[in-house]
Amino acid sequence: MTRTAAVELVDIWKRFPGVVANAGAHLRIDRGTVHAVLGENGAGKSTLMNVLSGVYRPDEGEVRLDGVLHRFHTPADALAAGIGMVHQEFRLVPSFTVAENVVLGAAERILRRQEVEARVDELARRFGLATEPDRPVWQLSMGERQRVEILKALWRDARILILDEPTAVLTPNEANELGGVLRHMADDGRSVIFISHKLHEVTGFCDVATVLRGGETVAASLPVAETDAATLAGLMVGSTSLAGERPPARAPGEVRLAVSGLCAQGDRGLPAVRDINLEVRSGEIVGIAGVAGNGQRELAQVLAGLRSATDGTVDLGGKDVTTDPPRRRFGSGLCYIPEDRLGVGLAPRLSVVENAVLHSYAQHRRGPFLLEASMTAHCQDLVDRFGVRTGPLGDPVAGLSGGNLQRLLVGRELGSGPGVVVAAQPTRGLDVQGVKAIQDLLVAERDTGTAVLLISEDLDELLTLSDRLLVMHQGRILAEFDPRNSERSVIGEAMAGHLPEEGAA
Amino acid sequence: MRRPVLVRRDRPVRGGQPLAFAVGLVVALLVGAVLLMAAGHEPMRVYQRMFEKSLGDSNAWSLTLNRAVPLGLAGLAVAVAGSMGLWNIGAEGQILAGAMGAAWVARIGGTWPGPMLLTGMLVGAIVGGALLALVPAVARARIGVNEIITTLMLNEIALRLLQWLIHGPWKDPASFNFPLTPMLPDQAHLPMLFGRAHYGVLIAGAVILVFGVAASRTAWGYELRIAGSSADTARYAGISLKRKILTVLLLSGGVAGLAGGVELSGTADRLTEGISNGFGYAGIIVAALALLRPSGVAVVALLFGAVQVGGQSIQIIGVPASVSTILQAFILFGAIGAGVFVRYSVRLIQMGVDASGEGEEAT
Repeated sequence: MTRTAAVELVDIWKRFPGVVANAGAHLRIDRGTVHAVLGENGAGKSTLMNVLSGVYRPDEGEVRLDGVLHRFHTPADALAAGIGMVHQEFRLVPSFTVAENVVLGAAERILRRQEVEARVDELARRFGLATEPDRPVWQLSMGERQRVEILKALWRDARILILDEPTAVLTPNEANELGGVLRHMADDGRSVIFISHKLHEVTGFCDVATVLRGGETVAASLPVAETDAATLAGLMVGSTSLAGERPPARAPGEVRLAVSGLCAQGDRGLPAVRDINLEVRSGEIVGIAGVAGNGQRELAQVLAGLRSATDGTVDLGGKDVTTDPPRRRFGSGLCYIPEDRLGVGLAPRLSVVENAVLHSYAQHRRGPFLLEASMTAHCQDLVDRFGVRTGPLGDPVAGLSGGNLQRLLVGRELGSGPGVVVAAQPTRGLDVQGVKAIQDLLVAERDTGTAVLLISEDLDELLTLSDRLLVMHQGRILAEFDPRNSERSVIGEAMAGHLPEEGAA
Repeated sequence: MRRPVLVRRDRPVRGGQPLAFAVGLVVALLVGAVLLMAAGHEPMRVYQRMFEKSLGDSNAWSLTLNRAVPLGLAGLAVAVAGSMGLWNIGAEGQILAGAMGAAWVARIGGTWPGPMLLTGMLVGAIVGGALLALVPAVARARIGVNEIITTLMLNEIALRLLQWLIHGPWKDPASFNFPLTPMLPDQAHLPMLFGRAHYGVLIAGAVILVFGVAASRTAWGYELRIAGSSADTARYAGISLKRKILTVLLLSGGVAGLAGGVELSGTADRLTEGISNGFGYAGIIVAALALLRPSGVAVVALLFGAVQVGGQSIQIIGVPASVSTILQAFILFGAIGAGVFVRYSVRLIQMGVDASGEGEEAT
């Protein structure tokens, strides 16, 4: 290494209870480059960026800026050292103007309004960030708000700018404009770290890419010009051969879940699920693979009844449930393991018992009163059967570790004896034992004849567990694979949007 | 160099809230003592008199209990909404609406026998309070309008409505044009329990108890806890948020309205503007200090009742009654301040960017 890197993260380790988020991750960023940091959810990108921006302190490892070792205790320390972060959720005061937001907390003295606006305007022009400094932020589009966030970092003279999935909230046009802005900043000698799942943006905007997987750096500083989307997708999902041995498959039975022509919108009102057709039979696990943000989350929510379908039908055991609310679907034998364990699946502040009876509390009552003893017994039974390690059952569920939370949640759902299971990212963020336990539960459930739809970003998991594998891309099902004899690279291509055989869908 | 930072505890200190409350009380008494001394009074003498007149004998207790009734019901009203994460700032207006509801029943039922009239008045009070809460409830449940704003604004509307009634249609023809409603009929007064304490004490106690049990022991209360803890979990479990918001806000308004009705039939002779007397706003403080728990509401209401009664009693020795308002405020400040340490601990950390790499963390 001849040149000193602008940023150097060396052998970063960061452990959380039950999870190792960074296991010796490296990152080296040169001045004047746009550097993509890629990885699946749970690969450790956010943790690594939080280490760099002073939110977390690493358990081990070094943070060097221009070769100088730094230890940040707070984000303010990192900011003072020239690291600016643009978070996914904007941190702006809606009723303040653009200029006021930009200088908030960083004005060195009392400034005149026009002077501030003029200076913000000048800064914005320099970097090609079209904005109106006197407009209140609440009137701005998401793209404009993001520009304000970038201006905030530039105002504080950030030499290293971290953008956490910046294009997730942008329209394609806005995303392209952002690409131009990033280039401007790099040309100005700053370093930009661009976190994204969208491979075409990485190949479009970035000079160099680092890929994380399982908390480790699997590819460091790849020149983007010498690689392509499919290679990057392959790196993200891993290149090891089949991780575990496949549990023996059973012959699938009748169709339990049938989806036809299903469409739905995402949170921002744009189409997220487009014309999905699929069937899951009794006794089979159908896997859905895809790079995050391609409509898998929305599909799971529509199936569970938490998001309404704009078109198409969902059929559960021969019954049309398209317009049924979640509770009625549950009554019809559908259980759902949501991606967000705490906050959707479990209510964090309530006790283990209260969470365990979320679906069944109506059975533990006499008149209007709930029977404490009966609920506790039910909970204890779940805890024993699914090996949940808990403290007192009356304590808030948020005190459990990730793996035990998931055992409790999966146990509660499977314990009801469902006919169909929709599992969204059921093992994400768990440690090895936790992953194994949940996977075993799903396989055992399939073996009792349940139809399982498994949505995951972990290709190894899908290849190990699925009987059939579907790949989702931009809201559509692009291809189906037999996980027993499919090349990972071909699946990776499909995840990047390239059809294995003939033309576009 | 080191600086202190607050670090979240894994779990709150057990029994921390009563302790924080006690700290708040001590802080309030100390600050109050300084203020009293600055104003040329002897703090100990003032405090002694406040104590004697509010908790010193059974007569004093009866006054304190009477005060605690509207405070407790208003506090419960706020707590009912708060159990679902909603803030009903409109208890003050709902008390007025409840008093109007009760007064209306008293007008049309002036000749009814006592029990029937009283029951009618209390039902009228509940309906009145709930009606005022109906608009914020529907707006919140159907289109997500922030209930804090709407309930607050309706306070003003309820007050104007009451003023109009007193100055207009409900004015006593025999009042020589004073803005007064006629006196309530004799049988419209709640019977006395002991001293000057009226039956409202039992009503308030029963309502608080029923809600406490309903919230902690019934399926309804369970659904409320889920909905209040995590809206997405509630949706996932098939609990209708809209219906919960609607019931909870109407119930909250009804309980506040009941406070107005009890106040009218228990301590007032007629309907006046002053019937709510700030109980609705004090109720917010009571609920906050009680951490929205019904049992806590009862205790805090009693203590605030005592502070208010004591505050009135010191006017005779030349101390402004606003001392009690100041004390209430400082109890809140002190308790909230101390409450922080129930959930957080203080740690010292090394300061600044440490480029040498020798930074050591304390603990």
